[in-house]
Amino acid sequence: MKFDAAALRPFRTGLVVVLGLFVAGLALRPIEGPAWEEVRAKQPALRLDSLKDALGQGVTVGLLGGFRAIVADFIWIRTNSVWETYDLPKTQTSIKLVTAIDPRPLYFWLNGSRMIAYDMPNWRIDKAGGYDAVPESVKRRFDEEQSSVAIEYLEGGLGFHPEHPLLVLEIGNVHLNRLKDVETASRYYLRASQHPDAPYYAARIYAELLRRQERHAEAYAFLKALYPTLPKDNVMAQAAVVLERIRELEEELSIPEAERFKE
Amino acid sequence: MSVASVPFSFGRLGLIAGNTFLEAVRQKLFLFLVLITLGLVLSVLFLLTFNFGSSELKFIADFGFGALTFFGSALTIATTAQLFFSEIENRTALTLLAKPIWRAEFVFGKFLGVFAVIGVFCALTIGTTIALLMVREGQILAAATDEFEARSLIAYGDLLVVGLLQWLKFGVLTAIVLLIASFSNTNLFTVVTGFFVLVICHLQYLARDQWSNVDNILLSGAVRALSFIFPNFQLFNLADEIGQGSGVSGEVALRVAGYGLVYIAVIGGLAVYSFRNREI
Repeated sequence: MKFDAAALRPFRTGLVVVLGLFVAGLALRPIEGPAWEEVRAKQPALRLDSLKDALGQGVTVGLLGGFRAIVADFIWIRTNSVWETYDLPKTQTSIKLVTAIDPRPLYFWLNGSRMIAYDMPNWRIDKAGGYDAVPESVKRRFDEEQSSVAIEYLEGGLGFHPEHPLLVLEIGNVHLNRLKDVETASRYYLRASQHPDAPYYAARIYAELLRRQERHAEAYAFLKALYPTLPKDNVMAQAAVVLERIRELEEELSIPEAERFKE
Repeated sequence: MSVASVPFSFGRLGLIAGNTFLEAVRQKLFLFLVLITLGLVLSVLFLLTFNFGSSELKFIADFGFGALTFFGSALTIATTAQLFFSEIENRTALTLLAKPIWRAEFVFGKFLGVFAVIGVFCALTIGTTIALLMVREGQILAAATDEFEARSLIAYGDLLVVGLLQWLKFGVLTAIVLLIASFSNTNLFTVVTGFFVLVICHLQYLARDQWSNVDNILLSGAVRALSFIFPNFQLFNLADEIGQGSGVSGEVALRVAGYGLVYIAVIGGLAVYSFRNREI
């Protein structure tokens, strides 16, 4: 049988093309590498772990670099439709899908976590027979389980918005309002209040939570340190309210007149 | 007269490019995609109602670049394949290549013609997005002059840089489609393969991430090799950086532009090599 070299020509061409592409990719890596590191650092949505919830959901269009915002917006609308049907697994999946596609807006993280922590325990109680039929221990378990999911979700959000005070506050809110854990909640309020962009109320609530734990001396010291930093002309800072609370604490702690805080 | 007896001519290359450009802009597909893209970009004003997260101006910019990326990719793949195969199917390629014309002139002429058409598409889309942003920014600033003290809210330079990089990405995609067309027998195969390669190029970084977690040396080696074969298109997506922190970094933009240009040259060269080995 005669060897036909021409028959191998397409394979040879294919091999040269693949080798050419490989060598080009290898040679371009020093140019690409540093740029890719920087692009990636600024776009946390490009991380594999963040996309796991979105893959296989038919959202490739959103992930290919464009339409991310609008795809996430429409899925958020769908999430709200599912939420109205009290379908817990679907709502939870949909919430996570939205932030997997577009983790940039805080709105999705905050409202998604509220649905998980505040609405879903009630859905589960309803499904288990209603408030009168379900024992307190089971209600408590539902609260704990959903709070745990919400906190984990919000901590995922902190991966995209490191130390964002609103996300930290939201974790504190879940501890405070759902788990009734004032001590842990106060730690989150303190953490949020230390951020330069924290809302003024974070520090005020931290002090109030200290008072609720009977840690009046700590609350007094904290408010005394806080007051001078508050702008007196900003209504959000509520400097007068802080001063009023300082005076209340001075009464409660029986601070002598001479040692009281001076404005 | 054989090809070897005439030197490479930029004049002939320019003629082929010009002809390709004219053919492309006369196509209904081009006009259809331009109209649908501009319509979509303008419709963002109505879609703002559905925006929950991002700031309004960021949403408009994102939407404009989304339309550019999506329809630009479709236009690049479809136009390149169609224009290449129309020459083959109408036998004009035979007539053309029977003359002393280099196959490199033919391939790069086709490339430049399509690249110019995509350039027009990018310019129209980015121009419309910028116009929309300017109008909306003007309205916002007029409504709250005290708050913003008449400073610009959008880095328009960054928008242009990102638009140019998208154009370069479409250039790389054009070269890839020409490479596929150079050995493919049908238009349909080229278009479908082109779309698959586009998706692979956009998501290849995920394979790279996964490769770092794989223990099997053979498998990790194969994935690593694949990551070298396909260009990383996600690198060109700097639109997310507009309006964030210091905006688009000049050094990164230059690196990405260099990356795109080298890939255009290399893949274009490989398309010429493959086309030279093809029987027409």
